[in-house]
Amino acid sequence: MKKIMVGNHAVSWGVMLARAEVVSAYPITPQTTIVEELSVLCADGRLKARFIPVESEHSAMACCIGSSAAGVRTFTATSSQGLALMHEMLHWATGARLPIVMANVNRALGSPFNIWGEQSDSLAQRDTGWLQIYCESNQEVLDTVLQSFKIAERVLLPVMLVLDAFILSHTAEPVDIPDHQLADEFLPPYRPDLRLNSKDPHIFACLAPPEYLMEFRYKIQQSMLQSKEVCRRVDEEFGKAFGRKYGLVEPYRCEGADLILVTAGSVTSTARVAVDALREKGRKVGLAKLRLFRPFPKEELLEITRGADKIAVLDRNFSAGIGGIFAHEIRAAFCNEKSHPPVYSYITGLGGRDTTLQNLNEVIYQTYERPRPEEQSVWVGLRS
Amino acid sequence: MSKQIPLLREGEMPYQPISLGSMEWNKTGSWRYLRPRFENKIPPCNEGCPAGQDIEGALVLIGKGKYLEAWDLFKEENPFPGVCGRVCYHPCESSCNRGDFDEPLSINALERFMADMASKHRRKPPLKKREKRPEKVAVIGSGPAGLTCAYHLVRLGYGVTVFEALPVLGGMLRVGIPEYRLPKKVLGQEIDQILELGVKVEVNARLGNGLSLEDLKEYQAVFLALGNHKSRSLGISGEEAEGIMSGVEFLKDVNLGKKVELGKRVAVIGGGNTAVDAARAALRLGAKPLILYRRTREEMPAFASEVHEAEEEGIEISLLTSPVKVISQNGRAAQLECVKNRLGPPDEDGRRRPVEIKGSNCTIEVDQVISAIGEEADLSCLSKQVGIRDNTVPTDERGATKQAGVFAGGDIILQPHTVVHAIASGKRAAIFIDSHLRKENWEGLFEALRVGEKGSLSMKRYLQEERERVPLSGKTVLLKDLNLDYFEYQKRLKMPKAKSSRRTTSFEEVNLGFNEETAVEEARRCFNCGVCNLCDNCYIFCPDVAIQKGKEGELNIFDYDHCKGCGICMEECPRDVIVMEVEGR
Amino acid sequence: MREGYESTELMYSGHLACAGCGATIAMRYALKALGDDTVIVLPACCWSIIGGPFPYAAVKVPLIHTAFETGASTASGVKAGLDMRGDTETTVAAWVGDGGTFDIGIQALSGAAERNDDIIYFCYDNEAYMNTGIQRSSATPWGTWTTTTPSNHPKGQPKKNMMEIMAAHRIPYAATCSVAFPEDMINKIKKAKSTRGTKFIHIFSPCPTGWKAPSSLAVKIARLAVHTKIFPLYEVEGGLRYHVNVNPKSLPVDEYLRLQGRFNHLSDEDIQKIQETVDREWERLLKKALDTI
Repeated sequence: MKKIMVGNHAVSWGVMLARAEVVSAYPITPQTTIVEELSVLCADGRLKARFIPVESEHSAMACCIGSSAAGVRTFTATSSQGLALMHEMLHWATGARLPIVMANVNRALGSPFNIWGEQSDSLAQRDTGWLQIYCESNQEVLDTVLQSFKIAERVLLPVMLVLDAFILSHTAEPVDIPDHQLADEFLPPYRPDLRLNSKDPHIFACLAPPEYLMEFRYKIQQSMLQSKEVCRRVDEEFGKAFGRKYGLVEPYRCEGADLILVTAGSVTSTARVAVDALREKGRKVGLAKLRLFRPFPKEELLEITRGADKIAVLDRNFSAGIGGIFAHEIRAAFCNEKSHPPVYSYITGLGGRDTTLQNLNEVIYQTYERPRPEEQSVWVGLRS
Repeated sequence: MSKQIPLLREGEMPYQPISLGSMEWNKTGSWRYLRPRFENKIPPCNEGCPAGQDIEGALVLIGKGKYLEAWDLFKEENPFPGVCGRVCYHPCESSCNRGDFDEPLSINALERFMADMASKHRRKPPLKKREKRPEKVAVIGSGPAGLTCAYHLVRLGYGVTVFEALPVLGGMLRVGIPEYRLPKKVLGQEIDQILELGVKVEVNARLGNGLSLEDLKEYQAVFLALGNHKSRSLGISGEEAEGIMSGVEFLKDVNLGKKVELGKRVAVIGGGNTAVDAARAALRLGAKPLILYRRTREEMPAFASEVHEAEEEGIEISLLTSPVKVISQNGRAAQLECVKNRLGPPDEDGRRRPVEIKGSNCTIEVDQVISAIGEEADLSCLSKQVGIRDNTVPTDERGATKQAGVFAGGDIILQPHTVVHAIASGKRAAIFIDSHLRKENWEGLFEALRVGEKGSLSMKRYLQEERERVPLSGKTVLLKDLNLDYFEYQKRLKMPKAKSSRRTTSFEEVNLGFNEETAVEEARRCFNCGVCNLCDNCYIFCPDVAIQKGKEGELNIFDYDHCKGCGICMEECPRDVIVMEVEGR
Repeated sequence: MREGYESTELMYSGHLACAGCGATIAMRYALKALGDDTVIVLPACCWSIIGGPFPYAAVKVPLIHTAFETGASTASGVKAGLDMRGDTETTVAAWVGDGGTFDIGIQALSGAAERNDDIIYFCYDNEAYMNTGIQRSSATPWGTWTTTTPSNHPKGQPKKNMMEIMAAHRIPYAATCSVAFPEDMINKIKKAKSTRGTKFIHIFSPCPTGWKAPSSLAVKIARLAVHTKIFPLYEVEGGLRYHVNVNPKSLPVDEYLRLQGRFNHLSDEDIQKIQETVDREWERLLKKALDTI
């Protein structure tokens, strides 16, 4: 069934199809309508979930940890300041190996206050051990919600799916709502054996002294690495069930490309248009959409970009001193490879500033022009 | 106890930190510097009783409704609980820690209650006894000292013969204390229980008159308990006249059922129990007695309760009054000239000496004068070998006289003249006669048998199969040793008495005794000083769950593997049973 | 054995508490009152250590460790999760120190109370951040020495009145308890257990280590706190109906203060001031209790 819906509602409907049992969230622009729609779905019985209207995002994640430890499917959503406030508990959820799913609407972090799109908030959490999946369209958002629960419950690590503020969250697009029964078959109920259970009492999230902590961390690392394969397989299963799949890194017109753009999030759609236009003009430009960010899909990206002469990474985010984070990660991932194309780094569209076709052409042009990448990211669209 | 889990490898660990076992393997007992231990101590009532009764133990039993078992416990030490429960001056109650908190336990009334119950149920106590021995012991005098000594000696296996000068047994208990204080029936029952154990008796056998010292040579030991039956003379002119008798004579006649003609106006001279008893007996015989005492009320040696009861019965007491002359008519006392006193400096016994006020003489009309200013011994029948001094028989701490094999006790030796002291001296003599006849070293016996520091001994301990010479854990518990947070004010239940109007016309018992409900309620007021009563405070407050419940009726158990030695159990024990000692000593 | 004491122990020996710890007596009796169908939520506090490290447990009920300020919020989540699994009977209890209740955790507690989430929130109060080394909290009474309020500059602010804060939330049931009155504590916890909604139990748990008192005095100090009216035992139902449970003997506060080294520096004027404050607060409480009748 196709519906026109904004990205936030796509999240809510995904959660409804996934039959989440406990939702605990705190409102923050631009996430608010996720929770509002969930309240409506709960109120009219389409979603049989307990909604806990907590008094802060920190408490929201604590609530999720509690309910997930009790053994039920748990969901929350937040953005920028709220995500930052939750930071401590994100680590806690990972260490406790709880399959919590969270939707984060990418928004710039204050100060100064800015409610518009930027990827810095989710990327600032890249060390917490949460998986991160960046979505390009509202359809992908809804589909990723279902996929996220399945992945999380298989690897027992929490999963964050990411969508851009306003461009996806508040923009209506046609979305194909999967049939509920098919969704149930794809995602059976979550009923773990190990949980807070007075008939089988254990202490959870025990104190781990020096002689044990390393081993527990090692296990997280192993699970995180194994989760890449799980992500791929779940995406395949989803494809079989619903006819749509997304992959971990999606190549677009990369055959014979000498320059490959790397983007994540909604800007990918604009990039597709830019690539098409340039291909028309005979330029051999391609695009790699980075969907899975944690765990980092190095092999997949390398596979796609190896043949190119140059890679141009578009970061809609910024870490002071490093510049674009995606570029940073890609450079680090490739550094020990015998051969890889040089990685050019560009920062655009911070704080909700539009990344236009013009900006993208500028990026491609500059990449062709420069023999070597600048050490620091190049800021595109800056009024200097 | 759970086991320590050996260091796990990564592959053996669960994917998230969850507990796999308990902490019990962790022996936190190794943290300890001080270690707790249960140690029952001496309750002050037990120490305060000269007869060494396990009063605290008996109160616990009464509180549980086990009066007969409580009586059995008393009979281990003292054959006369029914007597003591009526006439003892109860130093136990003065020692009771509860006395400093609110009011002491009515131990005396409870002792009587036990005895009355046992009598009602015709109970025979399951007494410990030893094997028969060949030796024979003679006991001279069947008062409380003599009969107690006989009772314990026959349990220790000896052949005992009691010689009594009077035709009846019981000494002062029988002839000195009136019926309304100690019914003959009660005394008779307890004497019978002694005789049933196999004690032989010869009445009308007075030493020096029918019974000679030679006769006693066939016995391997002798216990002298003649008692003080001679009345002191007033030392005033005219006292040889008729119509003047001693208090002991008067009471003996009344107690033996002789008819005594008193007339109406009876002057009783003296302030002790004999004087008060004589006055109250005279009252019941229809007279109007007047007690004359030379000092003030506070100095009267009689029990305060007795004096109070006498006053309730309408008996007048003229204090600070001494007789100086008897004025006779036709050879019979008709008037008593008296003089008023004031109190001067203290006497040799510490009481202030009465000093006559010149010119305060007065005369009272009398039909009968009863003189009861004190009793003393008549030791003329005893051999010089025994070593008499100041009209008493000197003894060492065992009750032994200078003469080998001859022991003495009761009022004739230097000790307070009370029933319970007499009983205590009888028991003590029995123990040391036994050790003497066995030719054993008695040096360690006091240490082994003492109940506290006041000289009481425990026969129960002496009769234990394993004669372990371990001192009863030394300390007597005082009020300051208790944790008073656990005790609430509760009124003391008192002995009910017959109405004074009823009392004056008959010799019925004045004290009516507790009923079961009252007895149990009063017994439960006992703090159980120094003796564990399984209140479980230690178990309840242990932060380490390191005290486990013992078996039914037994002490709790310390888990020394886990006890950290914090001392909360010691602090919260209401009755000072837990001691903390340095670990490793 | 006195009445009212369950014989089942749900706390193991061998735990890592200091000798004489009041918080372990509190936990022992809370667990006895709650029974084994209980889940404990345990934020950072002394009990995080007492419970033992991986792979051991010092309690026989399921328990989850959580971050410092999340006692109430995690408990809300656990309760929601259990409900959604169809288990509406298991009791969910947060076991939090005074730091995690009065200070850093007050937001989460207020949120849970406002939502009236069906949890029992236990605050065991040892009047400072004991686990991190005796630093002051807002539960530390006026004039107390702590490592962050040294003797020449002791705490200048009064103890926060957490019971009043919880009463203001109009939760169904709030009560104070003391480890010296275990029967009272058991009764109140059982009452809380049978009530739906947010319940707050404030347990006075002396810490001999942090209060500089001999380890044997933990229970005695707790008892004196009640009898000097410093920590009265009372209940508040619906935030409005007050009942005092134990009539204090009205002993002078000095009897309580002089047992603890953390009060050694107090002058006679200070003690007088404390006595006046305690008396005043007691009068206020009595008035509320009388108004209830």
